[in-house]
Amino acid sequence: MPLTDADLVARVLLDDDHHAFAELVRNHQSSVRGLLRNLTRTDVALADDLAQETFLRVYKNLRSFRGEARFSTWLYRIAYNCFREEARKRKELVGIDEERLQTEQDPQTVDPALRHDLMHALSLLPLPERSAVLLCCQNGLSHDEAARVLDIPLGTVKTNVLRGREKLKRTLAAWGPS
Amino acid sequence: MEEMIEEDQLDRQLREAVPYIDDDGFTARVVSKLPSPGRAPRSMRGIILVGLTAMGSAIAFAISGGRFVNEAIMRLSTFPIWILLVFAFGCGLIVGACAVIAAIRKTPEVRDLSRLQS
Repeated sequence: MPLTDADLVARVLLDDDHHAFAELVRNHQSSVRGLLRNLTRTDVALADDLAQETFLRVYKNLRSFRGEARFSTWLYRIAYNCFREEARKRKELVGIDEERLQTEQDPQTVDPALRHDLMHALSLLPLPERSAVLLCCQNGLSHDEAARVLDIPLGTVKTNVLRGREKLKRTLAAWGPS
Repeated sequence: MEEMIEEDQLDRQLREAVPYIDDDGFTARVVSKLPSPGRAPRSMRGIILVGLTAMGSAIAFAISGGRFVNEAIMRLSTFPIWILLVFAFGCGLIVGACAVIAAIRKTPEVRDLSRLQS
């Protein structure tokens, strides 16, 4: 029977078991790297660096994990914090780049080859809406869990998800056949 | 209703749009950057503790020439049996209390971890 996250965390805490930690990384690397790739707008190298930093922080702070939330929620929160810190360092990620993408890649003028490309449509959303949609719709977190990850009020998460969904639908509809 | 179905469809499409990312050495890179264990694991610490206790007892026994053990047994043999029973019961209570305290100290950690399974 495969070990649960709880079993693996316990092994790491009790015996500093690197094999158990490796198993945790293997189990979650795809979702964490996927989330970070979407947050960094498919900058694979940066996303992987952030994912690595995320798991190293997880290892260092595992004792502070009280199990009040799911392990994946805690993990996403650390990943999001890593991204946010990096974004603050590289202003262009959330500032200049955001504006540039908003203006340059207007849904009406996007290459027809990108039709129905959800990931691309997602990358056009502003960061707060993108993060909320990614966590709730793509990674299956509840609104409450997403609020914890993003460290924002529950109502804001709900609004961002709603707006994000609406914008996604509008963007996809605009790209779709008329 | 129709809107909810649309939302579910969108969520499903979003989930399916993310391919599984192959590990491709990622885990190995993370593990190679972990700090090396700074202290012996708990099981090892337990063995060291028991070993040191046994060694200390052996040294004390050797230095006294074994006299204190003989004297203690002789003294115990003169006690009434009920006193020995009370003494054994008291020892059991003390050991039990220590075990309960140790278990309680560990319980929050285990309880919190077990929540993960739900």
